[in-house]
Amino acid sequence: MRTDAVRGHLDGLLLSVLEDGPLHGYAIITAVQERSEGALELRKGTVYPALNRLERIGLLRSTWQTAGERRRRCYELTDAGRRGLATERTAWREFTTAIGAVLNPAPEPGNAT
Amino acid sequence: MTAPHVRADPIEEYLTDLSAALHGPARAKARMVGELREGLMDAAADLSPEQPGGQAYGERATRQAIGEFGTVAELAPHFQRELTIAQTRHTAGAIALLVPLLFACWNLAEITDGSADGRLPGLVQTAAAHLGGVAAATALLGAACLAATGTLARRVPTPRRLPAVMAWTGTTAATALAISALTLTVASLLVSDLPMTVLAGALTFLCHAKIAASARLCRHCARLSPSGAVAGGRDEA
Repeated sequence: MRTDAVRGHLDGLLLSVLEDGPLHGYAIITAVQERSEGALELRKGTVYPALNRLERIGLLRSTWQTAGERRRRCYELTDAGRRGLATERTAWREFTTAIGAVLNPAPEPGNAT
Repeated sequence: MTAPHVRADPIEEYLTDLSAALHGPARAKARMVGELREGLMDAAADLSPEQPGGQAYGERATRQAIGEFGTVAELAPHFQRELTIAQTRHTAGAIALLVPLLFACWNLAEITDGSADGRLPGLVQTAAAHLGGVAAATALLGAACLAATGTLARRVPTPRRLPAVMAWTGTTAATALAISALTLTVASLLVSDLPMTVLAGALTFLCHAKIAASARLCRHCARLSPSGAVAGGRDEA
């Protein structure tokens, strides 16, 4: 799936993979790709400013964690982030229902063969 | 005999190029670039888990990782957008914090107090009152900007011209403070409480320098941010 298809849904994708617990930036990217079974093409570098923005608006919080010589910034959902994720899911369901109704209209009873 | 050619680390070359293209608060920039470095190293290690000679990852894997992350030209606008907001908040915070602090200082020095036994000429008092009004308005704008680019941005899209507005607000505040410093310097020659007035003038000048520098960088960042983007709004993948 092209990068364009992800546009507008990045926030929801990032929030959803953090639902189970804190992850660092690259683990978040990997989690999105694994969940989509490689179908979603992310421009990986753009995830980092997006995480920064989600933290700025209070949907994520982050802490530095050290593993050996590496220091990684780990992100986790805030309470507002969990509410934001629920809102994203509701909006997505409504969107797919509306688009689905147009693309695959239910056959009218009178026209059934 | 020539010195052996040392090949630069592609990740560091890439990050140096990206760093050169970005402008904003040094700490925020260092954090974002540092995170990207860690991500690139993880990606390169993922693409070449086993390398001979104990090498963590090979050059081909590193180049592939960089390719997957995006070119400098592709990434810079995304990073700059966030850095521009960071600089906008930095400028707003400086105004919102320093201007009220100066008010307190002026009151302490009894410069703006009209009941201060008429020690200051009326013209100086009037000028101080007007400049104080301008400074207070900019401080309120600064506080509003901090709210608009913080938690409020969850519900209300951040206006795309906000960084430019905040930059000019900072310039206005800095100008008001510069004139105030000059006014206080003149006033210090006319009042008996010379040390306090000189201290207030010096502090005002320092605040002017701090806010003016921040506003200048904010203007620069505002010019760099992509015009089609909603500052602080949703990003693209």
